[in-house]
Amino acid sequence: MIEKILLSIKQLPAFPATVHKVSELLKNDDYAVADVVSVIKYDQAIAANILKISNSAYFGVRQKIKSIHDAVIYLGQKNLVRALQTASVSRIFAKRTAGYGMKTRELWEHSVAVALMSQILSRRINKKEDTVLYTAALLHDVGKLVMGEFVQESSEKIFALMAAGGYSFLEAEESVIGINHAELGGRIAVYWNFPPEIHDAIAYHHRPDRLLTGETMIPSLVSIADQFCLMMGIDGGMDGLAHRGITDVMKKYGLKETDLEESLLTLFEELEKANELLHIVN
Amino acid sequence: MIMGDVIVGISDFGCSRKPGDVLVTYALGSCIAVIIYDPVASVGGLLHYMLPDSNLDKKKAAECPAMFADIGIPLLFKSCYALGAEKRRLIVKIAGGASILNDGDYFRIGQKNMTAVRKIFWKNNVMIEAEDTGQNYNRTVRLQIADGRCFIRTSGGMAKEL
Repeated sequence: MIEKILLSIKQLPAFPATVHKVSELLKNDDYAVADVVSVIKYDQAIAANILKISNSAYFGVRQKIKSIHDAVIYLGQKNLVRALQTASVSRIFAKRTAGYGMKTRELWEHSVAVALMSQILSRRINKKEDTVLYTAALLHDVGKLVMGEFVQESSEKIFALMAAGGYSFLEAEESVIGINHAELGGRIAVYWNFPPEIHDAIAYHHRPDRLLTGETMIPSLVSIADQFCLMMGIDGGMDGLAHRGITDVMKKYGLKETDLEESLLTLFEELEKANELLHIVN
Repeated sequence: MIMGDVIVGISDFGCSRKPGDVLVTYALGSCIAVIIYDPVASVGGLLHYMLPDSNLDKKKAAECPAMFADIGIPLLFKSCYALGAEKRRLIVKIAGGASILNDGDYFRIGQKNMTAVRKIFWKNNVMIEAEDTGQNYNRTVRLQIADGRCFIRTSGGMAKEL
């Protein structure tokens, strides 16, 4: 089965080139608005999605955004990257079935919630937001989109292992299917030419402790954000909360329980503002 | 959605004495559902709280008391009294409070939520009639106002009566 799964990565559509191009342009602080606008406009589907979400209260822009030109000017660099990633990743979700006993929309809502939570944690720990972290968080479960087709037939075996043998969901997936959804997601991100920090964060989002190169916080923050959303019931998948805790990661960043509880309150406030982002996948 | 389903969201509660109503709350992770029912008055209530203690954020607590066990639970009981329920007749059940596997010292929101509800009930002489708590899966809870029957469905599992 594992060969079939790995082959199916190659059948995925390419990740929209627009996103990588615009991200490159935006890395330069004095990017030309006209250049960015023309690249985005070239991809009508993404442009349309950006317009759908850019007036979301989540981005907090006062002016009404009516065109891509407005979006590039008023959203500003960081929000623009977030809107662009959300607009393009949502298109990939919309075309697939999630499997794992959940609807695609539910997996999408979980992904957006983890992305928002990752920014809340980054603000708390690093005093700033991080668009690379946002992208990694938004894509962390992308492996489930491919695995979904295959996991249905194996789901009984996976449940049985979780119930009887004290397996985590990840361990049960590995044992039954031969690969877990995190590792598969990492491979998809490689196929889509995302930088190493993003594919590592996806591949290790349940076990950041296993990642030996510790220079970046991204995998740990994705992991914590993910677990918090699972605890709040924002998932709907068959894995529930059956994942290994990551106490050491929490300690490493000096996060206390009250930090996390307060972050949860912020998350629910932001989710209310992020309606447009949540509903872009039906 | 089935007719008569009244959805109770996270940090929310609902009470009813309409026989056709079914109070439903989805996706209880580490959060807890408190389910109360008076079989004589046929009044039922369901609370889905998120965190144990409202001292975390007083402003939030004022806006959304059902978010916290310490103020959400009294609110649930009082709202059912207002519909004719009486404390001595109430059948009380709880569900939820799931945890991440071997979560050590941190990530104990599920356990903290359970401790909170037990403490409040102990102080107020309330017996917990039945519970489905802990473990590491999500739960959906339904309470039928007509007869007070309560059903729990776990992620991937069958519904069972609590």
